[in-house]
Amino acid sequence: MLHLLWLIPAFPLASFVVLATLGKRMPRKMVPVFGAGSIGLSAVVTSLVGFSFLTSPPPGNSFTQVLWTWIDVGGFRPDIAFYLDALSLVMVLVVTFVGFLIHFYSAEYMGEDEGYSRFFAYMNLFVASMCTLLLGANLLLLFLGWEGVGVCSYLLIGFWYRKPENGLAARKAFIVTRVGDTAMTLGLFLLFDKLGTLNIQDLMHQALVQWPVGSTLPVVAGLLLLGGAVGKSAQLPLQTWLPDAMAGPTPTSALIHAATMVTAGVYLIARTHVLFSIAPQAQLAVAIVGAATLILAGFSAITQSDIKRVLAYSTVSQIGYMFLALGVGAWSAAIFHFMTHAFFKALLFLGAGVIIESLHHEQDIFKMGGLRKEMPVAFWTFLAGACSLAGLPLITAGFYSKGLIIWDTWSSTRGSSVLWVAAVLGVLLTSLYTFRLIFLVFFGEMKTKVHKRPGFAMMMPCVVLAVLSVVGGFVDTPEFLGNIHSFSDFMHLALPPITERPLRGMTEIGSEALVTLVFLIGLGVSYLLFIKRRDLAEAITAPAIAKALHRFWYTDWGMDWLYERVFVRPIVWIARVDKSDFIDYIYSGIALITELLYHGVRRTENGRMRWYAAGIAAGSIIFLTIVLFL
Amino acid sequence: MNGTDLTAVLPLLILTVAAVVVMVAVCIRRSHLLAVWLTLAGLAGAFVSLWTVATVAPIQVTPLLVIDGYALFYMGLIIAATFVTVILAYGYMEKQQAYREELYVLILTAALGSAVMVASNHFVSFFLGLEVLSVALYAMNAYLCNRKLPLEAGIKYLVLAAVSAAFLLFGMALIYAQLGTLQFGQIASMLIGGVSYDKTLIYPGLALMITGIGFKLAVVPFHMWTPDVYEGAPAPVAAFVATVSKGGMVALLLRYFYETGAYRLHSVFLVFSIIAIASMIAGNLLALLQNNVKRILAYSSIAHLGYMLVAFLAGGDRAAEAVTFYLVAYFVTTLGTFGVVSVLSNGERDADSMDDYEGLFWRRPILAGVFTLMLLSLAGIPLTAGFVGKFFLIAAGTSASLYGLIFTLVVTSVVGLFYYLRIIVAIYKTPAEVVTTVPAALPALSRSGNLALAGLTVLLVWIGVYPGPMLDVIQHAVSTLRIF
Repeated sequence: MLHLLWLIPAFPLASFVVLATLGKRMPRKMVPVFGAGSIGLSAVVTSLVGFSFLTSPPPGNSFTQVLWTWIDVGGFRPDIAFYLDALSLVMVLVVTFVGFLIHFYSAEYMGEDEGYSRFFAYMNLFVASMCTLLLGANLLLLFLGWEGVGVCSYLLIGFWYRKPENGLAARKAFIVTRVGDTAMTLGLFLLFDKLGTLNIQDLMHQALVQWPVGSTLPVVAGLLLLGGAVGKSAQLPLQTWLPDAMAGPTPTSALIHAATMVTAGVYLIARTHVLFSIAPQAQLAVAIVGAATLILAGFSAITQSDIKRVLAYSTVSQIGYMFLALGVGAWSAAIFHFMTHAFFKALLFLGAGVIIESLHHEQDIFKMGGLRKEMPVAFWTFLAGACSLAGLPLITAGFYSKGLIIWDTWSSTRGSSVLWVAAVLGVLLTSLYTFRLIFLVFFGEMKTKVHKRPGFAMMMPCVVLAVLSVVGGFVDTPEFLGNIHSFSDFMHLALPPITERPLRGMTEIGSEALVTLVFLIGLGVSYLLFIKRRDLAEAITAPAIAKALHRFWYTDWGMDWLYERVFVRPIVWIARVDKSDFIDYIYSGIALITELLYHGVRRTENGRMRWYAAGIAAGSIIFLTIVLFL
Repeated sequence: MNGTDLTAVLPLLILTVAAVVVMVAVCIRRSHLLAVWLTLAGLAGAFVSLWTVATVAPIQVTPLLVIDGYALFYMGLIIAATFVTVILAYGYMEKQQAYREELYVLILTAALGSAVMVASNHFVSFFLGLEVLSVALYAMNAYLCNRKLPLEAGIKYLVLAAVSAAFLLFGMALIYAQLGTLQFGQIASMLIGGVSYDKTLIYPGLALMITGIGFKLAVVPFHMWTPDVYEGAPAPVAAFVATVSKGGMVALLLRYFYETGAYRLHSVFLVFSIIAIASMIAGNLLALLQNNVKRILAYSSIAHLGYMLVAFLAGGDRAAEAVTFYLVAYFVTTLGTFGVVSVLSNGERDADSMDDYEGLFWRRPILAGVFTLMLLSLAGIPLTAGFVGKFFLIAAGTSASLYGLIFTLVVTSVVGLFYYLRIIVAIYKTPAEVVTTVPAALPALSRSGNLALAGLTVLLVWIGVYPGPMLDVIQHAVSTLRIF
């Protein structure tokens, strides 16, 4: 059954080809059959593969399928090969299943759009690339997938290309991630150059053998890979593209910019965890990036007024949690949070899509309100997702995954109390902005009339994801709540468990209780400010300093402003000033000389046969001279 | 000649019989479709017979022909290329106001000549094959004799080919005069084997032979006929000249110079280096601002033969593999590009002006895509056959430390990129009247031509992405070459 592995990326790819070539000619009804059906087939294959992986584990708990060798020259021998282990299995499962639900949803959501088949073609290509990224056995294939998802992200952000601002957002996303990709490419070159292979498993083994812990090379390589990861996963300092990426269709935001692609950085670091474990400084950098991002993005989320931008900042913040987990060596906790986050964040985006669609494409949360009674199903599913995001204790998936990260931050040898405080502060912020969103959108008085209600295709995925957002956490619970470790145990087939340090002054139950308390504070403050005493909220934001702070957070800590002045403008200025420097003359000189040469040699082709015959004779004479006298 | 010998030359016999059958069929009843079907059947038969022949190979049939894996591979290549040419010619000739059927007799004869060349290890079969090929080509170039350009092409080719054949014969005579043999193997044992001989006869002999060979390969300074003939000849015939005719000569070049060991002589090396460098530079420069697509392809083929010579000069098994692989890639792309030209041509003129391709994408997106792929392959962009081919050329060149040649190859390839991209830019340029163009007003494309192009495109990408199987076949074939 494991040999079906290659079909997982193959189905979406085939469907992409069909949709890209015949999409416009096929009847409209057939488009989602291909578009969503192919992902469904991938999901089925993934389940079969996963079932076989669980029931009869392959030797070494990993399975490599070599399809063919691309080229084989001088030690450079990249195989087209897929590698399946617990890590890639979990991620592919989530990608295909959540992907299928989102495609199913899109069949209705995008139903009226003129670019119906184009949309599905891009989305299918995305899933194919994402699966290639996750399953690639060597860095080259991983990089192919990595760039593939980047291109799809670009295409989908700018999907409604007639609006110039969408094109700008797409370009921004592409260019900013490119900064990270440049670092990552350098990292890949470094690894290949020093360790002589591209196969990830061999590479990790070689790194362990050749490089002592803490030496320069692994740290540099780790930091370069981290550069790629922060770009793709929208972490500090390259997070600025993600909020603007919300210009794309909402299913795209759900699939690419929440559930899957933006977690590619998490996957990259988890996949190369051996490298990071011998580069403690690089791993610490991962933790710091994660902690800082989760707090900064949390503050920004509180001030946003666009429903999708709130969710975007929340995504940045939650991926910050995953990075924090990676940074403290809690590998399986990071993947656990990836999974639950994929469920609830996809759900929240799909729910947001339902709301936006029902309110004449209104995205401003201050113009919404009172939707609780109007749209009960949307409300309850959205609430399930939001509670999971904020970590409503005991019954939501988010509580268990985030709780695990926070506890591991405390208990790991690589954790620290500072990081732990940051993680707990993050809970407060999450709870604040989540319930602010809920209260503003669903409670209070109705400000915009509902004009259209979503159908089955849009609500079914929401319901399924809502169920998963609640029960998805029960696969791994703390000691005092059932002590289930099936997810961690499974992940430990591929990723090492954390190394615990001697505990001081804190127990797991204490940590969870504190988190619960903080969650409740956030909920309470939100309730107070956005339901009970709206005047209080206005009073707080009234003073000039508060207004300035609000603006500062609203603009993502002025990051865009800063980058505009530090990077964009100086470079544009230099480019303008230096437009006609001497270097251009070299190139235009070469072009000019070539052109002159062309006009010179062209004279030999004059169409006269006697001249041609003379050429043959002259050539022969020259060669005769050479062979006789040289 | 016994039964085994007859089995061994089965492909040649089938091609001969096919040519006669088509000729007789034309006498009985003029039907374009029938002639094409008979031709295709003959080619398919000859192709299938290669597997039968493989059971008795390697074998020397009379002193003239050697049927080994190398010869069989090249025969297969030539027959396959002819097959595609015939399909393209069918769609092309349907649009012409002329007697169409005799063209196929000529094509079969020319293919036979080329097939003899690849199996020859003797001067007599060398010359015989060459002339069978050439004589058929004279007529093929001028086939549309009611037009001016084809006639001009035919005459030019006739005269210049005759001149170069005279050089070739004289060169052979000089070598025979000194060594007293016409057999490659025996030449080798004398040339390299320490027998004393008069260099002032042998070396000029080799040099004059290079003139004859160089003419067929269209390399500098024997290249000047190429653009005129390519421009004048009907597009499918130009495709044939570029592939089958040159391919046969490349096979013979490798066998002759490798099996006689002549490639080891310093002066031969020097002459071919000059030819290679001059061809790469002149071919690419000449194409630079050219506005006639067929002429661009002619110049580009000069450059491509120059590239191939780089690997040829590296010498040895690897080099022969690299040249052969490049030739396969070159066959696919050249047939593809001329295929597009033939498909777009009409009864009055060939679609060879740059204007014919301006905004092609907006009229015929798929055809434009195919053409783009073919051009990218000619330029050597990854994921196409051309890239892998060029990669092997450079690898062979570097392993023999031919850095000067490699440098020229790389630099001139960059120049080459310019004119391929010029065509591509023209293809995707938005014409002003794009909105008003009614798709239905376009002339219908021939289905057979489209089919051939689709096949070539698949092959192009397949070899580019997954060259393994093709490489295995080539390695196996080339290993039968007895390199001195």
